[in-house]
Amino acid sequence: MPSAPSSRPSLPRRAAIVGANRIPFARSNGAYARASNQDMLTAALDGLVARFGMAGEQVGEVVSGAVLKKSSDFNLTREAVLGSRLAASTPTYDVQQACGTSLQTTLLIANKIALGQIESGVAAGVDTTSDAPIEVNEGLRSVLLAANRAKSTAGIVKALAGLRPGQIVPEIPANREPRTGMSMGEHAAQTAAAWGITRQAQDEIAAASHQHLAQAYDRGFFDDLMTPYLGLTKDNNLRPDSTVEGLAKLKPVFKPAGYPDTEATMTAANSTPLTDGAATVLLASDEWAAERGLPVLAHFVDAETAAVDYVHGDEGLLMAPAYAVPRLLERNGLTLQDFDFYEFHEAFASTILATFAAWEDPIFCKEKLGYDEPLGSFDRSKLNVVGSSLATGHPFAATGARIVPTLAKLLHEKGSGRGLISICAAGGQGVVAILEA
Amino acid sequence: MTAQPSPAAPHAPVETLDSPPTLGVLYGRALLTARSGGSALPDRRLELVNVRIDGSLVADYDHVCGFSVGGDVPPTYPHMLAFPLQMRLMTDREFPLPAPGMVHLRNIIAQVRPPVVGEPLRVTVHADRLAAHPKGAQVDLVTTVADEDGTTIWDSRSTYFVRGAPAPAGADDAPAAPPEPDPHVGRLPHAIWTVPGDIGRRYAAVSGDVNPIHVNGLAAKAFGMPGTIAHGMWTKARALAALAGRYGPAFTVDVVFKAPVRAPSKAYFHTAAVDGGWDAKLVSPKGRDHLLLTLREG
Repeated sequence: MPSAPSSRPSLPRRAAIVGANRIPFARSNGAYARASNQDMLTAALDGLVARFGMAGEQVGEVVSGAVLKKSSDFNLTREAVLGSRLAASTPTYDVQQACGTSLQTTLLIANKIALGQIESGVAAGVDTTSDAPIEVNEGLRSVLLAANRAKSTAGIVKALAGLRPGQIVPEIPANREPRTGMSMGEHAAQTAAAWGITRQAQDEIAAASHQHLAQAYDRGFFDDLMTPYLGLTKDNNLRPDSTVEGLAKLKPVFKPAGYPDTEATMTAANSTPLTDGAATVLLASDEWAAERGLPVLAHFVDAETAAVDYVHGDEGLLMAPAYAVPRLLERNGLTLQDFDFYEFHEAFASTILATFAAWEDPIFCKEKLGYDEPLGSFDRSKLNVVGSSLATGHPFAATGARIVPTLAKLLHEKGSGRGLISICAAGGQGVVAILEA
Repeated sequence: MTAQPSPAAPHAPVETLDSPPTLGVLYGRALLTARSGGSALPDRRLELVNVRIDGSLVADYDHVCGFSVGGDVPPTYPHMLAFPLQMRLMTDREFPLPAPGMVHLRNIIAQVRPPVVGEPLRVTVHADRLAAHPKGAQVDLVTTVADEDGTTIWDSRSTYFVRGAPAPAGADDAPAAPPEPDPHVGRLPHAIWTVPGDIGRRYAAVSGDVNPIHVNGLAAKAFGMPGTIAHGMWTKARALAALAGRYGPAFTVDVVFKAPVRAPSKAYFHTAAVDGGWDAKLVSPKGRDHLLLTLREG
């Protein structure tokens, strides 16, 4: 019987975040209009390989995913790896959890490293809203499938006789919840109205996001986190000169259904735009990093995923993090105030403000979370200090893999500390995580 | 002809049909044939025996109404089996109310268990409770679905209204209907429905209910509608599909159809979990009630 390797580390162990690479994010139908998910993911992976000298190397796993995915991309990550400079023997799989995708892929890689099943891995995510899959109209699809099932020429002709001119109109995927028929913005507008989130407060979040991102670019923060792609060197949604006064002039959209007397407060600036892009994170055991002389930016501590009943319950679509974070804090013996950085995905400025309001609300904390005391507030100067999705844009599945290395690098710069990540996702879900350095 | 006991019409003789009547033919006959318009409900029940639900037709129905293919037979599906019998009764020359332009006002379904695809079922229909309505007259069509053992597994009561029809003599003696459902829901819609413009034709294709008010704009206007309207039973089916997974196999679901749902249109769907079941409402963006629904389990 073979004996266990003597150097086997004590398990579980904390996975290290070693580094990252992403391509700049591009507004929809712009710089990346001709690039596919596979193109962007391959480019982001190759940038990572180049940065860490991994050409020809096999990593434990690459796990990635896309929200808007063609059926021919069933093995998207595997195809991207085969076209990248990683060893062709690198295993992969695809995951999709809407906007939570690449925080979840990070968690999956981190857990396998923690259990000693792999020594290194790449978590990634990619999305394109420009090169989106177009589906044929449901009626046309039924006719074509019936024709395909037909066993005789006469059967095929009979099936095709069911074609109607209106069926030629294709269906382009919409940012809409299938069970509610409401767009994400319409859902967010309801939540904003329910919590009384003001236009002013939302615009302050949006302006800060752009200003922080611009400052971070100016000081070179992203130099070792990003590789130029198709002519872009920065996220092209960034408006460095954004001010609350300027944003106040934009026309509001998304009137909240069910609130006839409430004004719309959400605008194109305090809502994330449709964006294209890809992001990757390299995780490893401390030993793997040390053997290669690579840094450890931070460690992945723990994560929690929650879901809410927005379909028939009374909770907002994007409020799952309000439930996930308290569970994560409790399991780790922490309070909301015990963090040096708060990285909250800004799906809509109103979404994170509603989450903060919920944690400050004794009734919510008592009735929904079962706490006698509210979680309370935290120092907002520690929130999204190098900008977030309102400024960078938000290619759905890539956002987690943008945020994880951002926080890891912030913690590494500080030398020590702890950070909280929160991402809300379509389908009433949310993924949250803790990193420490 | 056989006589079967029925709690609702214990004495009426039963006529067993060999096959379901064809609805298009019935509508045509109703439109073209002079009616003698009797003043009393026919003392008869119609039934079909050895009816077997066809899984592929249920799949078509699922696609149009939003149910999951391969799940339980939808609770509204047995209405598909009963409706041709109802129409056969109502399009007879002697039936006291004219069938064309008839509007579905209310439908109560009590399900003991969902029927199973392929099992032999007995579907029995009779008319009941002819009554005056402030704007015309109304009548109930009662359906029972029994399994091979003769156990009723599903029954329903549909109330149909005819605008301007004179209330026949003796109609006031009809027993009162149970109180209408009174759902209590919050002010926030849980879903915004986009009712497709062709939903009347699509539902007609799976149900056989080719009532002109659902499939033809001009005909709909001729019957006093603003344009083509969605079938009431489609809105009920869609509402139950939206509650999928939230109720068990045995329940009573009572629905009142208020303002017709135009096709195309948008409508707000409100739901609330209540003691023993669900309340739901479908309302127009301007706040007019389309559908009031209560579902109580057990």
